[in-house]
Amino acid sequence: MKIVVCCKAVPGAVTDVEVAPGGKALQFQSQFQAMNECDEYALEEACALKRAYGGEITALAMGPITTQDILYLALAKGADQALRIDVRVQDPQVASTVLAAALGKMEFDLVLTGTQSRDTLASFVGVAAAARLGLPFAFAVTEVEKDGEQSIKVRKELGGGRFADIRLGLPALLCVQTGIQPLNFVPPGRMLRARAQPIRSLSLTELGLTEEEIVPRGYRYQSVSPPERVGRVRFLEGATPEIAAALLARIRAAL
Amino acid sequence: MPHPMQGDVLVIAEHWKGEPEGVTLQMLTKGRELADSGGVGLAVLVLGHGLDDVVEVLRGKGMDTIWVLDDPALARAGGGVEAHAIAEAVRAIDPGLILIGYSLVGMELAPAIAVGLGVTAMTNCVDVGIEDGAVVVTRPFFDGTQHAKIVLEGKGPPLVALQGGATPTVGLGATEVAVRPVAVDLSAVPARGQVLEVIEEAVSDVDITKAEIIVAVGRGIGGKEKIAVIEELTQALGGLMACSRPLVDLGWLGRERQVGASGKSVAPKVYLACGISGASQHLSGMSDSRLIVAINKDPNAPIFQVAHYGVVGDLLEIVPALTAEARKVAG
Ligand SMILES: Cc1cc2nc3c(=O)[nH]c(=O)nc-3n(C[C@H](O)[C@H](O)[C@H](O)COP(=O)(O)OP(=O)(O)OC[C@H]3O[C@@H](n4cnc5c(N)ncnc54)[C@H](O)[C@@H]3O)c2cc1C
Repeated sequence: MKIVVCCKAVPGAVTDVEVAPGGKALQFQSQFQAMNECDEYALEEACALKRAYGGEITALAMGPITTQDILYLALAKGADQALRIDVRVQDPQVASTVLAAALGKMEFDLVLTGTQSRDTLASFVGVAAAARLGLPFAFAVTEVEKDGEQSIKVRKELGGGRFADIRLGLPALLCVQTGIQPLNFVPPGRMLRARAQPIRSLSLTELGLTEEEIVPRGYRYQSVSPPERVGRVRFLEGATPEIAAALLARIRAAL
Repeated sequence: MPHPMQGDVLVIAEHWKGEPEGVTLQMLTKGRELADSGGVGLAVLVLGHGLDDVVEVLRGKGMDTIWVLDDPALARAGGGVEAHAIAEAVRAIDPGLILIGYSLVGMELAPAIAVGLGVTAMTNCVDVGIEDGAVVVTRPFFDGTQHAKIVLEGKGPPLVALQGGATPTVGLGATEVAVRPVAVDLSAVPARGQVLEVIEEAVSDVDITKAEIIVAVGRGIGGKEKIAVIEELTQALGGLMACSRPLVDLGWLGRERQVGASGKSVAPKVYLACGISGASQHLSGMSDSRLIVAINKDPNAPIFQVAHYGVVGDLLEIVPALTAEARKVAG
């Protein structure tokens, strides 16, 4: 099975979050970036499918040169090759356009993504890319098995304790749910070896896209700030034993 | 340029066994508010096969129009056929704003509907309103530690996916309802996938939905071995222990204890959240609890949006103190 795994580099804790001039993006400071956790599960599932059915895995990411770090991690975890699209994108709709353009130039049976990224929290890009390419898709997938030469059977979550088993024709795109496989620790030696591998990069032009096409459309950020306390939360303060006594009193009063 | 709404507010209904889902009722409440402030009607689109029951239940929920897309092909459609059908139906209905739940089903449908229609979509929204004629949403970023307010100004009806629990459900009075069929030709849609079976999880021995006190633990616990601290408090309070999804993913606790969109929905008398950030998928499973207490070291954690009482601090310090206090009072 030829599998493409879309992975995203996401910032760690952010500070100084502001609306960027022009209102089309959020800007912020962050000390580091890491592979989006949901995407790590997609990568683990790709490795499990490769073990079961053979084939090869390509890790695909978008971003500037620093994004290579997560692609090295993908290689260390078991991807056979890595591809970086050299473009900075924050908007999920644009991200799905760029990914669809890249996927349109690749050969695959299956595309795996995570369900959500921790920065934009949109759960949008995977399914949108599939829709742009006319691929069958499924979201929140917890099990994947091959079902025939050109089809797979997947189990996906419907929420409320319900699941659906679905047969999909290949090629298809799956947004993989967290927990589908255990996350494996990568030994430092493997990481070092991965860093010696080349990572191909593609420009927007090579994808046949223009700068104009990656301008976010249809909205403008008005403001950004820590959540306004709409609720009624009262913070309990003081020494720990006092807090404990106060908390317990409130809990008992509610019963 | 912001444009005033030029058509109805359309809610995409989710239903199961002839009943609308909770998130759909919440959106009808929100939809009524938006429709009234925009001077337009409120409509709902129901699709599937064999819809008489759910249409009957929806009748009394305060909308002006129920659009019904009943097609045997939708009974077992998977892989994107449903989203295609919704996009086509929406084109025919021509609404001014589309609301869908940010539920697991909505997460799968929303992006494909938006792409199908070529409209702007905003998912995971905590609020939606109309300001100066434009649709304005509020949604989280960066693990929910920031909220952005966003003005939608594209062409076509924007698609807004609202978090479950973001809006209370208000019992809306019955209005004069028009039930109208909407037909979509699905024969031209390429076969993308087929639903083989829908499985409902069996009830387990530990039933957190019945508990009066829930002590819920999140990733802030920092290690499997430390869960004992939470267990002790749970025992001292006489409750049941529950958790957020990552603890299940990590294999630290069983699925039956997971609260949230992909776990159980609970509404105990007391919900004590320890080291849980409060992601929308967690909140949608517990925000109806009567008393919510949260212990978290980050004062900006979104869990404090729904908590009644909060403690900003290390749970490994607060929880044992609370256990000691509970034992003292009990003993
Ligand atoms: C499709 C989908 C479905 C999902 N379904 C669910 C679901 O059903 N249920 C669910 O819970 N999640 C669900 N999630 C995951 C959800 O988005 C969050 O990732 C998850 O809820 C986070 O769990 P958490 O709060 O335990 O961990 P984190 O978000 O990592 O938060 C840990 C918190 O602990 C705090 N903390 C750390 N150390 C301490 C300390 N010593 N003392 C006090 N506080 C501390 C931190 O400040 C932080 O706020 C779903 C996600 C998707 C995409």
